[in-house]
Amino acid sequence: MTNHWIDMIHADVVMIMGSNCAENHPIAIRWLQRAKERGAVILSVDPRFTRTSSFADHYCKLRSGTDIAFVGGIINYALQNNLIHKEYVAEYTNGSCIISKDFTFHEGIFSSYDSDKRSYDKKSWGYELDENGVPKRDESLKDPQCVYQLLKKHFARYTVDAVNRITGAPPDDFTNICKILTSTNTPDRVATWLYAMGTTQHTHGTQNIRSYVILQLLLGNIGRAGGGINALRGESNVQGSTDMCLLFHIIPGYLKSPHIDNVNLKAYLEKWTPKSNDPMSANWWSNYPKYMVSLLKAFWGEKATKKNDFCYDYLPKRSGNYSHISLFEHMYAGNIKGLFCFGQNPAVGGPNSNMERKALHKLDWLVAVDLWDTETGDFWKRPGIDPASINTEVFMLPAAGSMEKEGSISNSGRWVQWRYKAVDPPGEAKSDAWILDKLVRALKKEYEAGGVFPDPIRDLAWDYGHEEPDPHTIAKEINGYFTEDVNFPKKNKSFKKGDQVPSFAYLKDDGSTVSGNWLYCASYTNAGNMTARRGTEDAINKIGLYPKWSWCWPVNRRIIYNRASVDPQGKPWDDKRWVIRWNKETKKWEGDVPDGGWAPGTKHPFIMRPEGLACVFSTSLADGPFPEHYEPVESPVNNLMSKTQVNPAIKIWNTPGVDSIGTSDKYPIIATTYRVSEHWQAGCMTRNLPWLVELVPDSFVELSTDLAKRKGIKNGDRVVVTSARGKAGAYALVTDRFEPFTIDGRQVDEVGLTWHFGYTGLAKGDSANLLTPHVGDANTMIPEFKAFLCDIEKEVG
Amino acid sequence: MPKKGLLFDMAKCTACRGCQVACKQWNQLPAEKTTFFAEKGGYQNPAALSPHTYSLVKFYEVKADGQLKWLFRIHRCLHCSDPACVKACPVEPVKAMVHDKERGMVYVNKELCIGCGACNDYCPWNIPQIDDDTEKSTKCTFCIDRVSNGLEPACTKACPSGALVYDDYDKILKMAHQAKERLEAEGKHPTIYGEKELGTGTHKITVFPESLDYYPDVIKNPEVPADIGFFHELLKPLGGLTITASVVGLLMARVREVREKEEV
Repeated sequence: MTNHWIDMIHADVVMIMGSNCAENHPIAIRWLQRAKERGAVILSVDPRFTRTSSFADHYCKLRSGTDIAFVGGIINYALQNNLIHKEYVAEYTNGSCIISKDFTFHEGIFSSYDSDKRSYDKKSWGYELDENGVPKRDESLKDPQCVYQLLKKHFARYTVDAVNRITGAPPDDFTNICKILTSTNTPDRVATWLYAMGTTQHTHGTQNIRSYVILQLLLGNIGRAGGGINALRGESNVQGSTDMCLLFHIIPGYLKSPHIDNVNLKAYLEKWTPKSNDPMSANWWSNYPKYMVSLLKAFWGEKATKKNDFCYDYLPKRSGNYSHISLFEHMYAGNIKGLFCFGQNPAVGGPNSNMERKALHKLDWLVAVDLWDTETGDFWKRPGIDPASINTEVFMLPAAGSMEKEGSISNSGRWVQWRYKAVDPPGEAKSDAWILDKLVRALKKEYEAGGVFPDPIRDLAWDYGHEEPDPHTIAKEINGYFTEDVNFPKKNKSFKKGDQVPSFAYLKDDGSTVSGNWLYCASYTNAGNMTARRGTEDAINKIGLYPKWSWCWPVNRRIIYNRASVDPQGKPWDDKRWVIRWNKETKKWEGDVPDGGWAPGTKHPFIMRPEGLACVFSTSLADGPFPEHYEPVESPVNNLMSKTQVNPAIKIWNTPGVDSIGTSDKYPIIATTYRVSEHWQAGCMTRNLPWLVELVPDSFVELSTDLAKRKGIKNGDRVVVTSARGKAGAYALVTDRFEPFTIDGRQVDEVGLTWHFGYTGLAKGDSANLLTPHVGDANTMIPEFKAFLCDIEKEVG
Repeated sequence: MPKKGLLFDMAKCTACRGCQVACKQWNQLPAEKTTFFAEKGGYQNPAALSPHTYSLVKFYEVKADGQLKWLFRIHRCLHCSDPACVKACPVEPVKAMVHDKERGMVYVNKELCIGCGACNDYCPWNIPQIDDDTEKSTKCTFCIDRVSNGLEPACTKACPSGALVYDDYDKILKMAHQAKERLEAEGKHPTIYGEKELGTGTHKITVFPESLDYYPDVIKNPEVPADIGFFHELLKPLGGLTITASVVGLLMARVREVREKEEV
């Protein structure tokens, strides 16, 4: 989230699209209710009328996978009717920047496309630079090559009629949403945007989010109280795991995982440290080397020296894509021999789970670490499988639950909150830290005896205590400390060896600082554990920042990009709910921690971008500078917007027999998948709790009354849903909350299934992921769980 | 302690059912065996109140004026100001169905209860459920054990949205009227249920955001069966003898016989 949970109370309009927060983030309703009582209007856009829709003031339906067409339509409405916050767009976004004349767009394809490689080299997407190497701008927004004009041209095709024909949204409902949302283009009104997996889990998921961001920027809603673009994270600590970068392409603090051609530290830093010639750009990532070196020091301690590139050579270098889908494709091909599954259950949660379950057969060993037995750990004895035919050695390690260990969790609002252990874990269950600590110590011992390249493991700095690792020692290292006495004459500060680093502004690239994650620097200082604070005093602006309650990254800034909440003179756009303001007497900012303390008008507000401006036009995504509507990989509809049917930059695997893509002649119905309040993800934590099983005892599929009638299906019937990958049994829930869509004059049906179930635990049933395809987003590779093709029939016999 | 009340501001409810589970957890009530959802129109489970389910979230999918509405309500004991279940309870001299008049709570004293079921029969909503295994009446206790120790009820504690509120009755009533005004301002047609029902009202006040027509199983004009006096007349000759469930059963059979005749 750019903002945080409490901040939702300040919104005048709340757009909930790609999120069913009433069911999946019930606490959101507490704050949205407060907003409602202030007069906020709540909008729900969803293929299905959900518990969130019932809470909203207005509901508009759309066909799964058509967010860009829908939001593109709103962008067009805003541009055609001049309902934008012009000064914000001109000053704070790259809307005013001039783009290379080589940039073109034709029939769904942007320039710089290589159809053989299915990728863009992006060379034609650059800014026109002036003689100093600074992007040229036209703040009147009139230059035909400026981003604003290119944007206007791009989205002119997204008319109300086109939106209706593509998305199935009724024109009146759609126009109503446009009017309400664009009413926040004035400085005294603001809208927040809530989204979740309904947005991301598409082959164009990143561009879905981009479309929301562009609209929020046009309306001047980013950086402000009651505004922002707010991802509701799907698990209580998934923000923490993202920050620690438990992903293949980044390492802690969103640093890049080294590529195979980043041959040494110099080449790596050269490649990933962005440059700017604009004195107005803070270009915060120019500090990249300090963060990277401090991280290497955290990994290899005293062994990491300037002389040996701080052990940069020890880091694995990647040559490809190692995301979830890719890993399972490789596992299926027999290239992966072992798998650790910590709190993950891909046999239920992974796409095309028939294939992913079969991939597990190819492993020599599997370690499943969880609170209960999982389908992944039990794959060898699942229905229809002879255990004698499986050669994988499987270890189940019982893990402690969140109440059975101490540590921090980071919520969607980036608040890092310390939690204490309430009870001992049962039986032999141990904390993840205990399990990892034992594993690393055993590995180090093994490698002491030698090996092909034992150094990275043998030299690993690893001492977090004996028996149960001390979470405070770990948290202190994540924050970082000085390895020698250091003076900062400019800042008039000096620190002793062993002092905690007070904030990332003090991290250095010479080996004198250690920091396990620069973004968390300032969370555990000499003054103590900031995340354990529980102060209930609000900040001077009284907008619910509560700066002494826990701690949030970065540097306790509760609303990021907050320099965009004021005009170029430092005066808040909206005095009623100001975030920061410039005090002319003290020459300091007041309110939230500002995005840098520079005086107003001296730096651009979006300090993490080299150009210092928010990107209406993106030069870095894999699939285009502007969002463009493409159909999901499986769709019953031809793309009405261009001749390019699906995102041209996605990877297609086509592993024979298991990655089949279905067509609408055999599978005419759109399917989507979702969770319910009563169950949690792949279900191991909830399908074993009788009280929750009582509420939702089995998987179900929701379908419209109209489709049910045509298929002869009654509420409560057992049905079988089939796709090109498999079939799933479920109970039929016949409801008016799903309605057929009229797409370009033709009726198209959609159904929705829960994916929580499997063959292990108290409540059993089929996961919807038996049906979902093994394809992912062009940028993130997140699977397309939300839109695919199926058929549905009443179960026979 | 002043009179206490519970507000159910249903417009704020999103049927997350945290209250239903918190109730089971606090009262250590076993889960019921369910299969698919009990009623059309939503995710309701289990099918009805039972000795193991004191509180139940109900779902209503209604189409009105071309608009789809998905409405929710919480079904459970309303804690009447003048509880018929207490009047009906044949256990003397100390009633097994206890009315804490000071705080406005109604709960079962399981030590005294004989499991006869008169409380259920005379409850206008047939809320109390007889547990066949223990032969005791069961229902929402207003979390008397928590409230008496300075805690709020488990359901209000669990509610994330503020739909369920526990406070002094006077404040609750005021909040109910404020909720009604708020909903009217939103163009809705709210109904306050529990303020005047049965003449003296109940301590659970529900504010329905829409007309009661959308909730077909809500009793619009609840009444206590008129023959409650006749039932006590039948009990009188037994004065001094130990009343058992089977004796009450016989008497209730007689009451029903008369009721049926009158209905004909």
